[in-house]
Amino acid sequence: MSRRSKSDSRALWIAAVPMFLLALSCLYPFYFALNNALKDNRGYILDRFGLVNDPTFANFITAWSRARFDEYFMNSFTVTVGAVLALLLISSLAGFALAVLRFPYRKLVFVVILASLMIPVQVVLVPFYQTILALDLLNTRTGLILSYTAFFLPFSVYLMTAFYSALPRELVEAARVDGARFIHVWWFIMLPMGRPALLTLAILNTLYCWNDVLISLLVLQDERTLMVGITALRGEYTTNVPLLSAAIVLAAAPIVILYVLFQRKIVAGIATGAVKG
Amino acid sequence: MSSPEKTTPPRKRRGGDGSKAEIRMAFLFLLPALLLVLVFRVFPLAWGFVLSLTNTDGIGKGDWVGFANYTRAVNDPTFQDSIVNTLLLLATLPIWVMLPMLLAILIHQGVPGGKLFRAVYFFPAVLSSVIIGSIFNIVLRYDGSLNNALAAVGIDAVDWLGGSATALGSLIAVQLWSTFGMGVLIFLSGLSTVPDDIIEAARIDGARFWQRLFLIIVPSLRPIIEFVAVVTTIGVLTSMFGLIYVLTGGGPGTSTTLPEFLIWLEQGQLNRPGYASAISMILFVMMGGIAYLQIRIMTRNASL
Repeated sequence: MSRRSKSDSRALWIAAVPMFLLALSCLYPFYFALNNALKDNRGYILDRFGLVNDPTFANFITAWSRARFDEYFMNSFTVTVGAVLALLLISSLAGFALAVLRFPYRKLVFVVILASLMIPVQVVLVPFYQTILALDLLNTRTGLILSYTAFFLPFSVYLMTAFYSALPRELVEAARVDGARFIHVWWFIMLPMGRPALLTLAILNTLYCWNDVLISLLVLQDERTLMVGITALRGEYTTNVPLLSAAIVLAAAPIVILYVLFQRKIVAGIATGAVKG
Repeated sequence: MSSPEKTTPPRKRRGGDGSKAEIRMAFLFLLPALLLVLVFRVFPLAWGFVLSLTNTDGIGKGDWVGFANYTRAVNDPTFQDSIVNTLLLLATLPIWVMLPMLLAILIHQGVPGGKLFRAVYFFPAVLSSVIIGSIFNIVLRYDGSLNNALAAVGIDAVDWLGGSATALGSLIAVQLWSTFGMGVLIFLSGLSTVPDDIIEAARIDGARFWQRLFLIIVPSLRPIIEFVAVVTTIGVLTSMFGLIYVLTGGGPGTSTTLPEFLIWLEQGQLNRPGYASAISMILFVMMGGIAYLQIRIMTRNASL
């Protein structure tokens, strides 16, 4: 029954050709950045499109130390780790309350948090910046961590709520009958039970925080994150494509590693919004 | 799947609220989330509306000017251009939905190499728009590798990013190329919920591949199509800043300036926060309806 008709498999083979070319194009940035990063600037100017024939790591060293990408890397790292931890903690607490606890206006609170999806940072650019100023958070990593947490929170709360409301209720009820305090229920039951969803959120939020440029441009103006560093590098060394490529490789490497390691998790997380389960 | 809430109606009928301790703890657990969302998003939105009615220069309070900033926006050629660009962008929406759908169906039908395609297609979507933009800024230059490749097959060079006729198209193409993989994933997870026996039944009846595609598979994907359309629309309205910033800088002229980028220019370079806020509010209203749809879909899916 599962055998395909001949016309079917022919159609699929024909379709595979453009699909293969499309797949090649998706790997092109990878080739572009690595290939050019290994050329020296002269080699690049002489042969811009060809394969590198005399690979050098000098661009990485220049980017890392002279172009201050070591600092940018640390900034991105600190801010991403801080924001992801805050997101996990806060969304797990909120998800527990929304999915398990009984209190007035439960649904309203859920909708308010989700509704803030309607307020992306562009829509509040000026007042958000003024808020950052007023709270004395401009040019602080704490400010950027709090901003990321606020702007990436709704999806995390949504996912934790959905995940916790699908858990067997007996677990929580039992804990409550035993007189366990809610904070203990959260710490000893909900947090460990929530591990699959928390891992998904950790990965997705790492991508969002690491890749962000707009919020970072606004909040961290003196020091830079990697992505802001790349935009600045383009201005400062307009013609040095190999150096820019090396910086791109440095900035993208953690994300590529994450993608290779957790591809399944990422895929599942992205699809969660559309189809439950 | 039915939620626990639905399977235990008696407790809900009792009023639904827990003990005082439970209510207090719920409030405490929700406090950080609510505080962040209110301080950084909801309050700024309200404040932005107030700002949009003033002519503040960012330092002093400024005077109350009513809706003058809004009428100014409507009459501002740059703003008009940004709206036209947005409409042109939204006109391409069918491609953003159909392309990933077609690819997902082909993968689902067992195209040779499908598993590999699925993994590779998503790769650009995990890269930052800054990285994508920096690379394509070099690739699409007049002396870049695309024109070089075209020259090899005898096609004249095109100034993809510098020409006002091609810049917006290039921007849209790069954004589409870098995000279509996400659509493929969403459609694939939707396809896995279409019962195989429906597809099998059509096969026994001798339905042809394309007939099967359009008469059976596509209609059963309707909820996913809705979702992808909504998410894509929100995406193109609010997540193209990074790409515009590094790929075209909004130019040449205003040909790739979208409202979100115009807001950035207004707030940062020209320092007219009242006017920038007015444009923000207009963008908010444009997004509001679409985001409302997304929230309804998500609430339904969370079965709360």
